[in-house]
Amino acid sequence: MSRFISEQRVLSVIFLVLTAGLVVSTFGLQFADLGGAFSPMFFPRIILTILLLLAVLNTVIDFTTQTNNKPIELMPVVLISGYLIVYVLIIMPLGYFLSSLLVGSFILLTLGLRNPLQIVGIPFLVAGGLVILFNHTLKMPLPTSPFVWWL
Amino acid sequence: MIQALPEAMNLILTLEGLLVLTLGTMLGIILGALPGIGSTVAVAMILPFTLTMPQAPAILLLLAIYAGSVYGGSISAILINTPGTPQSAATCLDGFPMAQRGDAGKALGWSTIASVTGGLTSAVVLIFAAPQLAALALNFGPIETFALILLGLTCIVSVSEGTLVKGLMAGCLGIFLSTVGGDPITGEARFTFGQFQLIAGFNLLAVVIGVFALSEVLTRAAAVRDQSHSLVAFNGIVLPKLHEWKGRIKGLIKSVAIGNGIGVLPGTGAATAAFISYAEARRSSPNRDNFGKGEPDGLIASESANNAVTGGALVPTMALGIPGDAITAVMLATLTLHGVTPGVRLMTENPVLMAAIFSGFFVINIMLLPLGMLVSRMAAPILRIKEAYMLVMICLLCTVGVFFVRGNPFDLLVMALAGIIGFILRRQGYPMAPLVIGMVLGPTLEISLRQGLIITDGSFTAFFIGHPIASTLVIAALAMLLLPAIRAVRQRRSAQRESH
Repeated sequence: MSRFISEQRVLSVIFLVLTAGLVVSTFGLQFADLGGAFSPMFFPRIILTILLLLAVLNTVIDFTTQTNNKPIELMPVVLISGYLIVYVLIIMPLGYFLSSLLVGSFILLTLGLRNPLQIVGIPFLVAGGLVILFNHTLKMPLPTSPFVWWL
Repeated sequence: MIQALPEAMNLILTLEGLLVLTLGTMLGIILGALPGIGSTVAVAMILPFTLTMPQAPAILLLLAIYAGSVYGGSISAILINTPGTPQSAATCLDGFPMAQRGDAGKALGWSTIASVTGGLTSAVVLIFAAPQLAALALNFGPIETFALILLGLTCIVSVSEGTLVKGLMAGCLGIFLSTVGGDPITGEARFTFGQFQLIAGFNLLAVVIGVFALSEVLTRAAAVRDQSHSLVAFNGIVLPKLHEWKGRIKGLIKSVAIGNGIGVLPGTGAATAAFISYAEARRSSPNRDNFGKGEPDGLIASESANNAVTGGALVPTMALGIPGDAITAVMLATLTLHGVTPGVRLMTENPVLMAAIFSGFFVINIMLLPLGMLVSRMAAPILRIKEAYMLVMICLLCTVGVFFVRGNPFDLLVMALAGIIGFILRRQGYPMAPLVIGMVLGPTLEISLRQGLIITDGSFTAFFIGHPIASTLVIAALAMLLLPAIRAVRQRRSAQRESH
């Protein structure tokens, strides 16, 4: 069973199901009844149908051939992906500097750095440099902190 | 366009213009030298910062970064045996052995002269070939434009070598993503699923930065990390003496011709040109036995060819709006984001801008010689930088870049998601260049198809009857699509014949 299920096959099935869902959705949407090339769904429907055919072909190929992916370190990828999502969500409420400092430090920690000076220092210098450049030199403000106006 | 040259030179030969070209080339060399960044990520990372600049300096800055990064890739290839850009992979073969035997400065000297020669000739090709090609396509209507874009999309085939179906899927996905948002004819919202932020569609830049730069960060985080590289002894570039060129000029001319020829063909790219040129030099050089052991002919072949591609690859991008590979797709996105629509009317509508871009590209390649000598000494210690620092810098810079385009936090979310999805897709063999090509060409493809059908009362056959240029372009597109399949069948048959 585990030999039958691979990352590639799971992804090709997800791709196929999502594309099929999108094709179906083009028929359910309500638009002004113009028809033909005037219809907003005319072009997307053609592209999605081609994509669906390709997705079917791709699924067949992936299920009939066996490819071995290179092993990876999954944990750093999952953690950094999570940090990136959190980062873009906290950047407005916390400001660019603080959120960058936090996320940059966590990324360095996840990448194996253990020296606290480096873990805090590098994001501090990069984010601080960018804040000085954009907020105070170019006067093109990045999201600012709710605590102090100059950060 | 020649008439616009004096005005264009006035734009370039100002303090601001020269500063932009100098800083851009220097930054390009440094970013190109850093393994893992490469030309595409370098241009994508810097692109958002140029959005507040006027058109000409902004585009010239990015061109300088492009040309500089292709050269910069050779620095790390020679000094640490790690190509900074894929284009420089062939440079490692003779560059690093030469550096190991104590001739790092000489190796960089050969590569600098070869790069400058390749880049300058490609600038000449760009200046002369792009207007000719554009003039040929000046009378295109929507039907011809549709056929042309279709032909342009077939370059997806060549950038998806070995993963054709996945490449085509990525291309279609890119076209589909370009349809999200307001319909270009009726204005009605499509595929927004109630999210008002999607009415303006996906921000092209957020997707480009996500799928190229952030997915690269995740790919590097997933690999077992080697924190630093050891450097060979290097005390600056030593240019080859005149007598050392004896017997090598013919090879240089041949490599430059290969680079320019391959560059103009959509979808082949600088890495292919460098390897083809290297293979040809290895076949025809009188010093062929020394290849792989630090032979200057090998270095000349790869470096002159990969730099000669830069201008050639911009010919179809500028003249027809057809990107040849990932980097020209990003350059095409650059032009679009700066309000320049590349294609058939660009040369007539913006002659000064075009003349400035072309002559600026020539100046950039001249500047590569002194700046290469200066920056390579500065870049060498940077190669020791820990990869983890670089990854954090990329994340923080990308965020600033995407935020500046519209100041919209939703774009940051799109960038992060594009990075994660890009990583997953890349890991499973889906190339990302077709996705960007699809996103860039999608809107023109849609509008030209729909306009064409409205003109012809919905008749697909009328698309080709009475439109010989469109018919020829569609036949060429079909041939480009079918050729790899025919080649694969032939190879399989000959392999079967040999096994019997």
